[in-house]
Amino acid sequence: MRQNDSYQTQLSVHQTTRKSKTGSISKTTDTTKVTQPAYRKKKPIGKMVVFGAMSLGFYALLLSNMQLVTNTFTLGGWYAVLPVGTAFLFSFVHGAFASNFLSVLGLEPKKS
Amino acid sequence: MKKILTILMAALIGTLLIHNAYAGGPPPKNVMKGIFTQLDPATKTVTIKVDGHDDLRILNIGPDVTIDDIVLNKKVMVSLDPNAGPNVIKDISLMFFEMTVTKVIALLIIGFIGGLLSGFIGSGGAFVLTPAMMSLGAPGAVAVASNMCHKFPKAMVGAYKRWKYGQVDIKLGLVMAVTAIIGVEIGIRIQQKILNHWGNAGSNLYVSVVFVLVLAIVGGYILRDALTMTKGATEAKTSNLALKLQKIELWPMMEFKVARVRISAWITVPVGLFTGMLAATIAVGGFIGVPGMIYVIGASAMVASATELVVAFVMGAFGSVQWGIAGLIDIRMTLLILAGSLIGVQLGALGTTYVKDYTIKLVMAAVMLIVAVSRGAKIPIYLADLDLIPRLKQQFFVALDGVSFWALMVALGVAGIIITAAMVKGMLLDRAEKQGQPIKEAIS
Repeated sequence: MRQNDSYQTQLSVHQTTRKSKTGSISKTTDTTKVTQPAYRKKKPIGKMVVFGAMSLGFYALLLSNMQLVTNTFTLGGWYAVLPVGTAFLFSFVHGAFASNFLSVLGLEPKKS
Repeated sequence: MKKILTILMAALIGTLLIHNAYAGGPPPKNVMKGIFTQLDPATKTVTIKVDGHDDLRILNIGPDVTIDDIVLNKKVMVSLDPNAGPNVIKDISLMFFEMTVTKVIALLIIGFIGGLLSGFIGSGGAFVLTPAMMSLGAPGAVAVASNMCHKFPKAMVGAYKRWKYGQVDIKLGLVMAVTAIIGVEIGIRIQQKILNHWGNAGSNLYVSVVFVLVLAIVGGYILRDALTMTKGATEAKTSNLALKLQKIELWPMMEFKVARVRISAWITVPVGLFTGMLAATIAVGGFIGVPGMIYVIGASAMVASATELVVAFVMGAFGSVQWGIAGLIDIRMTLLILAGSLIGVQLGALGTTYVKDYTIKLVMAAVMLIVAVSRGAKIPIYLADLDLIPRLKQQFFVALDGVSFWALMVALGVAGIIITAAMVKGMLLDRAEKQGQPIKEAIS
């Protein structure tokens, strides 16, 4: 929640010129403290939607052509490239979707 | 060091090229894949177009098969009866079961929990996915092949995530993978010998007995270890065996930076070999590999479970290629399970950052023991199949089958609950700590 976000503070020590009451100008150091809400990583909603759409598209393609796919992919020999390659392709696309999905849900690994 | 690894890899690839006929498990003799094109009930023959051949073959329907079993225009696996003469069909199984919505949902859910488990304890989940696929209607060989094809991408994604969290020891994983692949080849030969000697029933019995023994013994040991940790010390101690083995100075000595272990390479060989052998025979490699890395090599449970994903990836890729060449992968099952497991594995992986070492051991032990019960329930059935015990009432066997299946579901459920509970607790603690910080800052 934004209210529960921690704050980050910035302390800076710098040289300033100060005019005293008598009119003389002197150089001193001054510190300023600025506080603001901590930087928040934006949730990757866009990426999730893109990869999710790609993944859904691939699955729809698979499920609508089940018999053709299963018959061709099991012909053996060099056709082995088909199931193995498809598994890789799905894992990249769907894996990216899953990763972004979990980030959007707020499930992140513990930073230690 | 690198030279030794390259030589070993070259030897492995050489063996693979020579023995590329064999899949990840022995494709049974007298089995062919193809599509029935024509049925002639009068002569009790059926024409089949076998995969990879252009000509059609005519087969006779054997006494065990009825006309109704013949399904046309769908890919089937046909096993011939060599004793009844040439071209006599003994058994037909439909290679690809009908995909219904219930089955899709079942595969998604099982895939998710299996993936969660994998991401957390490193074990592939094959022990639950393969029987689940078979109970949905896939023939055994297709179930094993499809699971293998799903295992390596899932392990790849899990290993990548856990490597980003700094838990994977890549060097240890690759060293183990090399001997694991050799172990797989040995395991296949042993499996074949048993299949040839005692047939299917004997093979099932052997697999189940080894399964139950290994899981019960190792699982019990890990449980005891995890429970002593919850009671007393919170920091994991390296086992005494590992400490003793690490003292042995046998060239080549290897340093594993992430695991923080310095040990002779020879010690990793039996661990890898047994992982591979057991993966090939009883389809569980992780349940030997991870405890092996913890108690024999001396890595922490966190690093061992993460590194096992690397081994699982290599073994899975290797096996999948072989199964793919044999043409036995049902890609629909693979991809539907992947749909759930890719989410589960990443969730499990990030979950490990919130828990202590002993939680991983606890989950592993719980799963191993319940699955041992599940498989143990089937042993009387196999004993009866081999006429080693008298055949009891059919209802008793049906009940045992039910116990076996539901015990498996309980194992998944228990694992899911423990992992979720541990993760939620860890996340809430973490959030509370973060909220305490601004107050601390304001005070100071």
